Amino acid sequence: MLFNSYEFIFVFLPVTLAGFFLLGLSSRNLALGWLVVISIAFYAWWRPINVLIIAPSILVNFVLARWLLRLTADKTRAGLARLVLLLGIAFNVAFLGYFKYVNFLATAANDLIGTNFVLTQVVLPLGISFITFQKIAFLIDVHGRRIPSFTLRDYGLFVLFFPQLIAGPIVHYREMMPQFQQARCRWDKENIAVGLSLFGFGLFKKVVLADGISEYVSPIYETASAGSEVTLFPAWIAAIGFTLQIYFDFSGYSDMALGLARFFGVRLPANFDSPLKATNIIDFWLRWHITLTRFLTAYLYNPLVLWLTRRRMVKRLPGLGGRAPSVGAFLQLLAGPTLLTMFVSGLWHGAGYLFILWGLLHGLYLSVNHAWRLFGPRNWSSKETYERFMRPTGFVLTFLSVVVAMVLFRSANADAAKELLQGLVGLNGISLPQQIFAQLGPLKGLLPSFVTASTVMSAQEFVFAMAWLGVLLLVALLFPNTLQLMARYEPALGVHPKPAAPLSLLRVLDWTPTVPWAVVMSSLVVAAVLRIGGKSEFLYWQF
Amino acid sequence: MTDQDILTVFTRTLRDLIGDDSIVLAMNTRRNDVDGWDSFMYVSFIVAIELELQIKFRIADVESFETVGDIVAEARSLLG
Repeated sequence: MLFNSYEFIFVFLPVTLAGFFLLGLSSRNLALGWLVVISIAFYAWWRPINVLIIAPSILVNFVLARWLLRLTADKTRAGLARLVLLLGIAFNVAFLGYFKYVNFLATAANDLIGTNFVLTQVVLPLGISFITFQKIAFLIDVHGRRIPSFTLRDYGLFVLFFPQLIAGPIVHYREMMPQFQQARCRWDKENIAVGLSLFGFGLFKKVVLADGISEYVSPIYETASAGSEVTLFPAWIAAIGFTLQIYFDFSGYSDMALGLARFFGVRLPANFDSPLKATNIIDFWLRWHITLTRFLTAYLYNPLVLWLTRRRMVKRLPGLGGRAPSVGAFLQLLAGPTLLTMFVSGLWHGAGYLFILWGLLHGLYLSVNHAWRLFGPRNWSSKETYERFMRPTGFVLTFLSVVVAMVLFRSANADAAKELLQGLVGLNGISLPQQIFAQLGPLKGLLPSFVTASTVMSAQEFVFAMAWLGVLLLVALLFPNTLQLMARYEPALGVHPKPAAPLSLLRVLDWTPTVPWAVVMSSLVVAAVLRIGGKSEFLYWQF
Repeated sequence: MTDQDILTVFTRTLRDLIGDDSIVLAMNTRRNDVDGWDSFMYVSFIVAIELELQIKFRIADVESFETVGDIVAEARSLLG
């Protein structure tokens, strides 16, 4: 059941909230138990068999975690505890591997070493990538003695809580459970108002903005995957348009998840912080899918760097850091782990070569960014001069790098990606819609000869697509984001207002539960609800 | 080894790594307080301490240390 569907908004959500608050009048345990039951129903709605697939994996994880809990209490059994942890991680990776990667691995083997594996039809349980990462984090946290105790209901609630079940944010047990344990489970005006507004912002971003631009973006990608040439303008519309589409789609989903959790008095961690405003790629990854970056950094990148640093320093080789880092240390301790982490990130997003390439490309971007910081020129006359030059340069470079990489992320196959990348640099020529070209009259003579007329996009589509790009860029780059607008009410875990200049846009637009904002929110929600219709899945639900 | 002894080892190690003899660490010092003690240098520092004191920090702890005092306390506990 999609968050942006009538059955969710007008049936599932009211029933869930009514049950929660009614049961909360008599007992918090009952209300939280209701949340587990309703979350299972939410998951089963799509395909009931999904529950039968995911339930055994949850139970196995629960049993392993309880075992770990006992083992870590006894220092003499540290070796066994480590073994159980590794077993748990291996089980989860194998579980994900079977459902998500078995066909990809078979295809890769057939392609690369000429085997003849037969592909099988595997049903991919919804949200399996997110659920798996969350279960791995839980086992590591139990092993690290960060979780002192838990019950099956608590574990079930942590894994299945429907607002973040399918596509995150990826949460830690220790940041969720204290909130559930302290939740009043009663109707709370502020939580409802903040929750509704977060949900409303998210719904608008998804249904109006993301789905709006997708109408112009998708046909161009389909043209490319059908093997047709994509010329300069459509290629840029597709590349920038999809970057904006996925941003509004996924950050819209994340806002809706924050709003839904808030109805129950729970704050989820932030997942987006205006990533397209980033002025370098390191900054981009601190603002884009924040909880995934946090997971990969904590559980893959950092342990790897610590392990490699130990190996180097035992051999009396220098670590990384300081004013004169060595190239060897950079390659081994930074570029290598970064590329590996982003390779895993790419593979996590999807079982395909293009996802892997997308991840590796971002790994390369990040390594170049780090190299610039470590080895780049330092003889700027002042920090201000450096900032004045690097901020706009960095912004443009980062934006273009993200946009180009997104072509790999979105393209259905390598040929489509090639067509679009060629189109971006003008190798497929430049064309204008026939009607616009005809209107140019004598101006046509001023155009270079390689600019031609095309019937791929109509003049109206072309103008509308450009207008959509302009509007969405304006919103993404100049407007405060949802979390900034609502910072006064801690919309996400640990998000508080930052000091703003007295006349800043942020101060003027600050969200408050007042009549003007009620009018604004109602308009956004009505506009969104009227556009609901047809099948419009969140892009990240496929992962 | 007392906490003060451990702190002395920490100060000497960080001075060697960063190449700045004016660094003075206290229990409430944070990474941001010391010029040049970035996240890369932090990992090098942790490993240098491990080699010096013949201990091994747990990765989860390495990420959760907020002050020098937190690292001293964990080192003392590992030294037994």
